[in-house]
Amino acid sequence: MACLHDHSCEDHNCAADWSLFNHIDVPKVVALNESVAGSAKSVFKPWEQRLDTSGGFLESNEGDPELLVFIPFTSDVKVKSISVVGGPDGTSPSRMRAFINREGIDFSDAQNMQPVQEWELAENLRGVLEYQTRYSRFQGVANLTLHFPDNFGGDATKIYYIGLRGEATQNKRDVVATIVYEIMPNPSDHKTKSETGGGFSHVE
Amino acid sequence: MVLEATMICIDNSEWMRNGDYAPSRFQAQADAVNLICGAKTQSNPENTVGVMTMAGKGVRVLVTPTSDLGKILACMHGLEVGAEANLSAAIQVAQLALKHRQNKRQQQRIIAFIGSPVKYDKKVLETIGKKLKKNNVSLDIVDFGETDDEKPEKLEALVTAVNSSDSSHIVHVPPGENALSDVLISTPIFTGEEGGSGFAASAAAAAATGAAGFEFDVDPNVDPELALALRLSMEEERARQEAIAKKAAEESSGAENKDHASSSNTDSVMAEAEPASNATADDKKDQPKDDDDAHLLQQALAMSMEEGSSGAASVADAAMAEAAVDDQDLALALQMSVQDASISSQSDMSKVFEDRSFVTSILSSLPGVDPNDPSVKDLLASLHGQGEVCISLLFFVEDCYIKILVVLCLCVFLHLLFSFMLKGFVFLLETAKLSYLLWKLNSFTRRQGYGYG
Repeated sequence: MACLHDHSCEDHNCAADWSLFNHIDVPKVVALNESVAGSAKSVFKPWEQRLDTSGGFLESNEGDPELLVFIPFTSDVKVKSISVVGGPDGTSPSRMRAFINREGIDFSDAQNMQPVQEWELAENLRGVLEYQTRYSRFQGVANLTLHFPDNFGGDATKIYYIGLRGEATQNKRDVVATIVYEIMPNPSDHKTKSETGGGFSHVE
Repeated sequence: MVLEATMICIDNSEWMRNGDYAPSRFQAQADAVNLICGAKTQSNPENTVGVMTMAGKGVRVLVTPTSDLGKILACMHGLEVGAEANLSAAIQVAQLALKHRQNKRQQQRIIAFIGSPVKYDKKVLETIGKKLKKNNVSLDIVDFGETDDEKPEKLEALVTAVNSSDSSHIVHVPPGENALSDVLISTPIFTGEEGGSGFAASAAAAAATGAAGFEFDVDPNVDPELALALRLSMEEERARQEAIAKKAAEESSGAENKDHASSSNTDSVMAEAEPASNATADDKKDQPKDDDDAHLLQQALAMSMEEGSSGAASVADAAMAEAAVDDQDLALALQMSVQDASISSQSDMSKVFEDRSFVTSILSSLPGVDPNDPSVKDLLASLHGQGEVCISLLFFVEDCYIKILVVLCLCVFLHLLFSFMLKGFVFLLETAKLSYLLWKLNSFTRRQGYGYG
């Protein structure tokens, strides 16, 4: 297994470096323009399994190579580098644009906004390439959005693995996310005898 | 319980003036919109719903996604109907409105009511659909109103293009008796993917079982005693019906059997109908009586066709049973009314009151009244007509509470007698007479120096 580091992998466990995988809030990973709903989650796995496609992979819709992946973290992290394993025959993404701490980005936003950093990708079928980030800009990342605008000429874009390297802090950016607000009193939380049993319930 | 922001696109084009969906297509749409808003906000209080028009003055957003039902209901008023619906512009505007929703965690959904013909071709619609799918927006379509050959196919193609993992649906509603909202209640548009919130599921159940809903329209969870009482009285009534039918079958023979059974059925139907009207009068005094009676009459006739189910009678029996618990003379009066009705539908109640001994027995059953009191006898002697007997009863009843009940019973009495048979005019006359006499009572009482109990 070739490695970017100047040592052989038998001595040093590379997987430990790619430990940010443990801090990704995988259930909340969302991708836009994916052909199979929910397949974005399969792209985040331990380093050793990066070439293993048995869990599925992320593919965009036919004829549309754009992909947008939203990655929330369980705590704030510092991202040092990103590795992307694409598909063969021109289905690998050719460019990557990253946005930090922005929720609800869609394609029109992504195309118009200035990304925090942008990379030209090469075909990385073996998962040996990684792309360094401008570390000063990637401190305190609560969520990361990756936009892949095009690929190497294939009909659709395939991504088998996304790896993130960096450090996790113990901070949480968005503490209030765990609180449940009650905008409107929910009758089912305050069951009275007359309201059980269905029918039209009015909340004034 | 999906957290969702929904934009509802209303078709208010010229085609919506048509009346093939009662009362008009546009009105049916408005009802459906109200129901959908209610369902969405009920299933998750943080859901938001917005409304926009596709035609009329143009594609415009009436309400941005909000969880305030009042705003949504208010904006539906005073919408003008006209012009042509612009579907692609409407969907784009809806997308934009959803994009700028306040809570980015909400899923995006568009519900479009399409009642006018679709002038776009399939390709254009498919591109629209793909764009929606790319931005993870689900689309529900209600296809109603105008039908031309290609409209269902085009809309199906659109929904297929948008659909990812079954989050988008299409419903075709043909014109017919059922209201648009009733048809929609049981569709996935209402119930959502998981198969129902409490609101939608119960509304669907109610619609599916028709008027019956729960047995006797009473939810056993809400009021178990009433449900039990209704069930018991229904069984009682059924037993009574069977006894009557059996007796009738035994008495006559051969070809006459059928006629007798049907006539006894009609008699019992009358008995059912009158207690039914009795019960409804008891329960809902302020509803228009005529409508009740017409409806009950139809119900009674339908029941006589079915020859067995006696729901109305059971309601009446239950009401009567409850009344009996409350007050003896009330029960007595009600019983009397039932018996008289079953004897003959043309019974004249004044005859009953002229029966002195009967009136005396009533009076003696009232607390605080001594029938041997000379003043009572004098009053009785000078009375004729049931209105004045009412007054005599009231006069001698000292307890205010009983007085109210007696008034109630007599009002009911008059109602069932006159509104059932003579429909309205005489009832009004009697009411006027009664109120005049009541006034007379008041002045008489005041003069005598009797305090109100």
